[in-house]
Amino acid sequence: MSTPAPAPRAGAEGDGFFLPDFCQAPAVLAIVLIAALLGFVLALGRLSAGGEFWIELARTSAFLLWAGLLCAGALCRARPWLARKPLRSTIGWSLGIMVGIVALLSEALYLLGRWWAARFGTPSEIFPDAQAAFVLPNVLIAGVVGALALRYFYVSRQWRRSVELEARARIHALQARIRPHFLFNSMNTIAALTRTQPARAEEAIEDLADLFRVTLSDARAQIPLREELEVARIYQRIEQLRMGERLCVEWDVAALPARAIVPSLLLQPLLENAIGHGIEPLPAGGTVTVQGWLDGDTIVLEVANPLPADGAGATRRGNRMALDNVRQRLELAFPGRSGVDVRDADGRFCVRLWFPLVMHDRSEDGDVASQRADRVS
Amino acid sequence: MDDTATPTVGPDKLRALIVDDEAPARDRLRRMLEELQDVAVVGEAANGAEALTRCAALDPDLVLLDVRMPGMDGIEAARHLGTFEEPPAVIFTTAYDEYALAAFEAQAVGYLLKPVRREKLARAIRHAARVAGPQLARLADQAQIGKRRSQICARLGEQLRLVPVADVLYFTAEQKYVTMRHRGGRDLIDESLRALEDEFAPEFVRIHRNSLVARQYVAAVERTAEGQLIVRFKDCDETLQVSRRNAAEALRQIRAGA
Repeated sequence: MSTPAPAPRAGAEGDGFFLPDFCQAPAVLAIVLIAALLGFVLALGRLSAGGEFWIELARTSAFLLWAGLLCAGALCRARPWLARKPLRSTIGWSLGIMVGIVALLSEALYLLGRWWAARFGTPSEIFPDAQAAFVLPNVLIAGVVGALALRYFYVSRQWRRSVELEARARIHALQARIRPHFLFNSMNTIAALTRTQPARAEEAIEDLADLFRVTLSDARAQIPLREELEVARIYQRIEQLRMGERLCVEWDVAALPARAIVPSLLLQPLLENAIGHGIEPLPAGGTVTVQGWLDGDTIVLEVANPLPADGAGATRRGNRMALDNVRQRLELAFPGRSGVDVRDADGRFCVRLWFPLVMHDRSEDGDVASQRADRVS
Repeated sequence: MDDTATPTVGPDKLRALIVDDEAPARDRLRRMLEELQDVAVVGEAANGAEALTRCAALDPDLVLLDVRMPGMDGIEAARHLGTFEEPPAVIFTTAYDEYALAAFEAQAVGYLLKPVRREKLARAIRHAARVAGPQLARLADQAQIGKRRSQICARLGEQLRLVPVADVLYFTAEQKYVTMRHRGGRDLIDESLRALEDEFAPEFVRIHRNSLVARQYVAAVERTAEGQLIVRFKDCDETLQVSRRNAAEALRQIRAGA
């Protein structure tokens, strides 16, 4: 791919309107497939009536294809206007548009058949020969199928929303659940530093404030990777005060594009897990490694921590909730194009995230080369 | 204030040991305790095991014990302390631990929330009391941490030895004492076989009225020429008898672990 993918815009699925955007390639493809299948079904249905199957199939499919594409085109153009209407009139208008298009198309076909017969002397099998028997059933079918389709779009929109809401609720539950212990421990550390090392105490309060600003903000927010890395570093600084030499974090993220857009709080929960389940149970401490690199157009982040000898099971259990949460949010941001893999290797617990590279959308950003050159220092 | 390495404390002062895995937390507690009139800090420890050796050597009156620590946690350390001849008073400290807090309340054990307040620290010290073994066992159960100890503490006067439970081959009871046979030798411990069995089943199996064996170290169960069942151990050529009464159940449990 030579151009950076656009930042996810508030488009088809994001604006809360239940009609899908029919100008998108997947929607058009779906309509073509549905028209072909429906044509096949209708042609089969008429076999018993003694029709010629292949001609029946050809003319039904062609008719449905044109009807479908015309309806999609009209709804696509009308979509911004429909989106502003109340639900009832949106449904009424959409249905009206579909029925109207089918009625006009049927009538046009009938007239074309008449013209053909007049021009060449013999009526073609392709065209309908009776006006009322052709147009009226088509209008009724369009009404029923259109109403079913609208109902389907509405229900699937509701379903998608409830899934999204559930994901958000889980994020909040996770945030609420991991915070208290960390918060009170940090407060205790700061209380200890206040008199002996006031400068470090001040720094710790600033770090804590920054961290909470991110965790308390909208968990669906997308931020530049640079900021996400900074949040993880702030988190590490606070833990470092507490754990001292027991905690060592090795960063290897120089190859990451700083301005890539990522869902917030991807890396920090992984680091928190690695420290909480990997380092804290070890009396002598250990090393967490954070690595990041670009694999073509995919960003890969990897966090690894030592597996405590007998606590491997507990580590995995404790990790699962945060990992599920991260996986879910990645899926929400990059449907079908992201993943979270977990593995144990050489006594280390290793979590790997991968998701597509999406650049911060700024018009003055120029070409990809200049963006790629903008690396995290 | 006394700053020498071997703390010599006035007879009227309470001798305190601070146990916390975080250095800043220890520093703060030490400073606060030193500001109190009648307390002297005699030492610090960074985890449960260290706390036990310090306690054996320093014999403090009071231990401030963090709940969450690597290796041996505070509640397990307190249970070992409970087996000391003259156990110190214990005050637990924790930043946030729902289960532990509920357990402390239920068992009326002294505890402090971090960051600790001066007045609360002073009050907790005034009311600090020794905690008894059974009380601590219930506490561990309720707090859902330190439920079963990871190590067994053997004492010989001032000497203290911590043996990981994973290293224990068997326990045998002889008259008043229980002998613990482990990979590093054998030690006497002051605990009942019954309590050990309750705590460490099913990893330890009762094969006789007076012996409890670690399932993982059983190499074989054999029948001698006289018809007596015996247990053979891995990495050790000792054998123990299986009593007729325990035979069926013991064999079932040993096989379940194989």
